[in-house]
Amino acid sequence: MKAFLSLVFILLSSSSYATEQAEQLFNQLKPSLYQIKLIDKASGEKSSIGSGFQISNDGIIATNYHVISSYALHPKKYRIEYLDNQGNKGELSLQSVDVINDLALVRRTVTQEMKFFQLSQATPHKGEKLFSLGNPHDLGMIVVPGTYNGLKKESFNDRIHFTGSINSGMSGGPVVNKDAEVVGVNVATSGNSIGFLVPHDKLVTLYNNYLKTPPNSIEQQMAEQLMASQNKLITAILDSPWQAKQLGENAIIPIIDVPFIRCWGDSNADKADALILTAVANCSLDENTYISSRFFTGSMEIEFRTMQAKDIGANKFYHLYQQQISRAGAGNRADKENVTEFQCHNDLVMPDNQAINNKSIFCTRAYKKFPDLFDVLYLSASVDKDNQAIVSHFTIAGISQPNALAFTRQFMEAVSWK
Amino acid sequence: MEVKSMEIEGSEVVAESIKVKEIIIEEISRNHKLLHRHKLSQQQIHIGRDYHNDIILADPHICPSHLSIEQVNGQWQITDNQTVNGSFIENVNEKKHVADRHIINDGDVITLGKSQLRILFTDHPVEPTLAFSPFESFINLMRHPIALLLSIALFTLIAGGVFYLNTPKDVNFSQLLVPTIGMALGFALWPAGVALVSHLSKHDARIMTQLGISFAFFNLMWFSDFLESIITFNSASGSIAPLFVMFTSIVLAFSLFWLNGYIGFHMSSKRRIIVAASITLLLFGGSYLVQYSKKPEFNPRPQYDATIMMPSFLITSSASVDDFIEDSSKLFDKTKEETLKK
Repeated sequence: MKAFLSLVFILLSSSSYATEQAEQLFNQLKPSLYQIKLIDKASGEKSSIGSGFQISNDGIIATNYHVISSYALHPKKYRIEYLDNQGNKGELSLQSVDVINDLALVRRTVTQEMKFFQLSQATPHKGEKLFSLGNPHDLGMIVVPGTYNGLKKESFNDRIHFTGSINSGMSGGPVVNKDAEVVGVNVATSGNSIGFLVPHDKLVTLYNNYLKTPPNSIEQQMAEQLMASQNKLITAILDSPWQAKQLGENAIIPIIDVPFIRCWGDSNADKADALILTAVANCSLDENTYISSRFFTGSMEIEFRTMQAKDIGANKFYHLYQQQISRAGAGNRADKENVTEFQCHNDLVMPDNQAINNKSIFCTRAYKKFPDLFDVLYLSASVDKDNQAIVSHFTIAGISQPNALAFTRQFMEAVSWK
Repeated sequence: MEVKSMEIEGSEVVAESIKVKEIIIEEISRNHKLLHRHKLSQQQIHIGRDYHNDIILADPHICPSHLSIEQVNGQWQITDNQTVNGSFIENVNEKKHVADRHIINDGDVITLGKSQLRILFTDHPVEPTLAFSPFESFINLMRHPIALLLSIALFTLIAGGVFYLNTPKDVNFSQLLVPTIGMALGFALWPAGVALVSHLSKHDARIMTQLGISFAFFNLMWFSDFLESIITFNSASGSIAPLFVMFTSIVLAFSLFWLNGYIGFHMSSKRRIIVAASITLLLFGGSYLVQYSKKPEFNPRPQYDATIMMPSFLITSSASVDDFIEDSSKLFDKTKEETLKK
């Protein structure tokens, strides 16, 4: 009994200690915390909100790119405003962005030196208690305690896995350790207390680069970042081993051995009445670069499908097979403002090893604001066996022409019959 | 031309003293379709609603003794008997005028009441004889009950086959029967409709012939579709071969409509070509317009040709990966040009 009581006491005391700590931290930090609003100039009303925090004494505020994305793309339509803890408002100017890591730097005018957040020198250790700050749903500044759970696995661009509820509106808010040093920036949530943070070192890099050479044009800066990011990604993919793997009974497909591409599989082996036995392997890059609410890029999907006819003739098999391949779509969301329509080429293609004969389709569309970046789609359907088929397909968003062609070539040569 | 006809009339005057000239009176409908034709050889012709007349017209707007036509000095003259609604000469290139005392010319049209009469003389020129078109034997073949039955059966069989091939489930015979027969009946509506229209416009309906011809062409269109699939499957994008096949299907449609017109209606060959061309244009242009109007302002989905067929239909050799990459790389410049367009 005694032991039980003491246990309760420990629990109570530790939780009250945490609350006290959070409260103390919040009071200490709140003068440097801001709510950031995008105001539509024509209507005078806010069109999006987020959070931000000051990182220098001369008024540089860090937030998420996606909080101010509308302004970055349409600077004439919006203005950016801050609201501090005392209810003061003022205008902000956009200084620099990191579109890949979803960060942005804005500047407020300051009359005197101000308090600001210290950026941490070290990464937290697993299980460390962290505090996320922000203004969820325009309800007022809050502090949310949570736990550092390391970097998200299988992620091409590092994200901290934070156990604690982050809600919309907290985007761009800082996450601090118990010493009030920033270790990350709120960026996304996948519900049920699973939150994601941009590691603080990305912010440090962005800020240092900004101090060295401020960007001339935000759009050009974004274009460069997108170009560099896809170069890094495709180089990593082309340099990794592509393992030949069997799919279904007779197909050989490549599995790209990099941690950030994850694969899933399915088949209809359990459906007794299916006319075609299908096995599907689906691999994708779990990455999606936000440009605007109607335009995402940076994603990649790969799909392989094998089909085996059961009790139907070749003619019917090919009719049903054609229905399967006639409706491929882009892997990313994009609109007229940002991309052209797709243009496609198709032909019958046999690799030099003559291991397969395919009808191959290649489509691409160009980005309007970011020169030399494209979305590509490839779809190939084998046409050399009467009652078996392999479909190989990929989409890549935001890729340069040489990278797209190099990847396509390697991909085409990696799919074959056993 | 006019001088010549005067001369002919002059020579007629000489002949008249010997015997009474013959005259042809045609009752025609408002749109100049022939209803009745009378050939008369008498000095005086009475026209009206009562039963004394030589030509009895039932039109209630015509008086019992409406008008008479009389041969005087080799010429025919109209006398209107002070009728309630009058009589008028209504020729194509003349103003409408009162018919009383009018000297009749060949081809004059007299309006009385709501009816019309056309007066012709025996020397009225006629159209040259229409030769049978070379399609006549084909038409006669297709009209034959056995040929008709065969082409409908073939059509139904193909329709059933297409349904079967495109159904992703197991289907039995009776499940195929309903849509197939429905489709055959649906396609029979066209020849039936054409036959109905030709019947209503006082032509021969000739429904068997229309059915025979139409189904023969529907089968040809199935075949051209099939040919189109094979060609698209075997050719790379940008090839012009599929365009030829598209052209074939337009020609087929035009020929069908031309034959429908030839069978169902008497019209000049020029007019028949215009009618057939208009229907073809309506069909293809209309379906293009429908597609065009449905097309969204911006299509986020790629539009590509996914035609695949079983390996037996694969007749060309395949390109190499290098060629494919080379051809695909051209797309990048094309889309980049698009971005420059505003």
